[in-house]
Amino acid sequence: MFEASQQLLFVLGSMVFIASVMLHLAKKNHLAVTLYVVQSLAIGGLLLLSLLFDFSYLLLLAVVCTIIVKGVVAPYFFLKLIKQNKLQFATSTYLNTPLTLVIVALIVVFIRTIFWNALQTFDGVNPDLLLLSLATILVSGFVLINRKGALSQILGVLSIENSIVSFALFAGLEQSPALQFGITFDILVWVIVSSIFVTLIYKQFGTLDVTSMKKLTE
Amino acid sequence: MSSIFAWTIQIILIPAISPFFIGVTRKIKAKFQNRKGASIFQPYRDLWKLFHKDEIISKDASWIFRFSPYIILALTIIVGACIPLISLITKNNYLGDFLVIVYLLALGTFFLALSGMDTGGGFGGFGSSREMTVAALTEGGLICSLLTLSLASHTTNLFGIANFGLSMPLQYLPSIILAFFSFGISLLAETARFPFDNPATHLELTMIHEAMLLEHSGKGLAMMEWAAANKFVIFLALAANLFFPFGIATDISVASLLVALLVLVVKISILCFGIAVLESFTAKLRFFRLPDLLFTSFVLSAIAIGLIF
Repeated sequence: MFEASQQLLFVLGSMVFIASVMLHLAKKNHLAVTLYVVQSLAIGGLLLLSLLFDFSYLLLLAVVCTIIVKGVVAPYFFLKLIKQNKLQFATSTYLNTPLTLVIVALIVVFIRTIFWNALQTFDGVNPDLLLLSLATILVSGFVLINRKGALSQILGVLSIENSIVSFALFAGLEQSPALQFGITFDILVWVIVSSIFVTLIYKQFGTLDVTSMKKLTE
Repeated sequence: MSSIFAWTIQIILIPAISPFFIGVTRKIKAKFQNRKGASIFQPYRDLWKLFHKDEIISKDASWIFRFSPYIILALTIIVGACIPLISLITKNNYLGDFLVIVYLLALGTFFLALSGMDTGGGFGGFGSSREMTVAALTEGGLICSLLTLSLASHTTNLFGIANFGLSMPLQYLPSIILAFFSFGISLLAETARFPFDNPATHLELTMIHEAMLLEHSGKGLAMMEWAAANKFVIFLALAANLFFPFGIATDISVASLLVALLVLVVKISILCFGIAVLESFTAKLRFFRLPDLLFTSFVLSAIAIGLIF
């Protein structure tokens, strides 16, 4: 599907991967949200690129809606949440920065050694791109595990979603406008619900650090 | 004729322009601090002044202290002549290897630390101790970041790496970006910039590089300052020409060499601006936090290498 634009795919795939690695290094929530915006715009770029090969107005509308939801609406909710609850810093992690990056390095090596042969079997697909997006899925998943802050964990979930989309696009899986609209609507609802939920948690516990919420049963 | 022109620039460029870029960085920092700041040519005047002053050497100093400024300055000039600056034609097969360059610079650091300790002063001693701690931790990140480029280009020669970068397949892009971040951290550590060291202070709790220079004066101090400026520009030139090699001349015509020189100056100026911004908006880290940052540099390179293998 994408043979003619392999180089551009690598640029966008690299943006998605680097953003997920940098999410581990981000000390401030503003930076983490900015990285999510960059990652989402790269995904938007990938979706627009896919339109060049399989154009329909309905799909274009779905892609535009996706970009608006991921690149504008979701960050708006997160920035509002940060401003309301004064959540500038997101430094709480279970592992320190070097150890976190060691785990990321191990994930990359694991993907490279275990999945490399399997990825070669995809016809007409660059295995390097698939490897990059698989690594992004696991690295984003590690954000979810390693961060103690609820906002960072929400960004981790959204980053996983972005990386799964990139894997699907790199693997050449077809997308239908109805499916795309459904996913975008799900993300929108999820972002709104999670923002409200996080606000309520903050009011109840005075923190978004999940390790400090000792009395969740009350 | 063009060949002579290219080689002349290759040999004299780093020592000639290094004080200028120190001045540019200081000027940009001054602007961020709402100060007018000294002229961008002030470092040249400082060097001129120091070269015309008498040198006072402690009676306890040995030959190491006397010769260190010459050795360190000579090493930076040699390294400056062996890295890709404006042309790939001036390729050096013997000293252009990245491991040779890294260890020639490490040799300079070794003599710098020795000269700091040589007079037996307290400041020189702790400055040398801190410098060697930081240098030892920096080497891993620096070598691995260059190793990433080397693995991608299948050569350890810096000119070969720059040549590969001109037509690099973008499948290496994520590795190169991570290696650049890693190299950037090493650059700041090796050139004694924020958040590792504050080049504008002589506060005993924080200084690393300046502590080793306190016993030097006159010509010796001038050579040490010049060598530090050379090292700063060497690292900037490496960052500019290994990670963003566009503009470097691939033929020997005078026109392309002049264009390459202009492009190099622009690229180094942009990097100077980046460093000045970083120094204006970040605080210096505590000494015991530095290993974390340096290990981060090393692991970023390890991730980059993991993506290539």
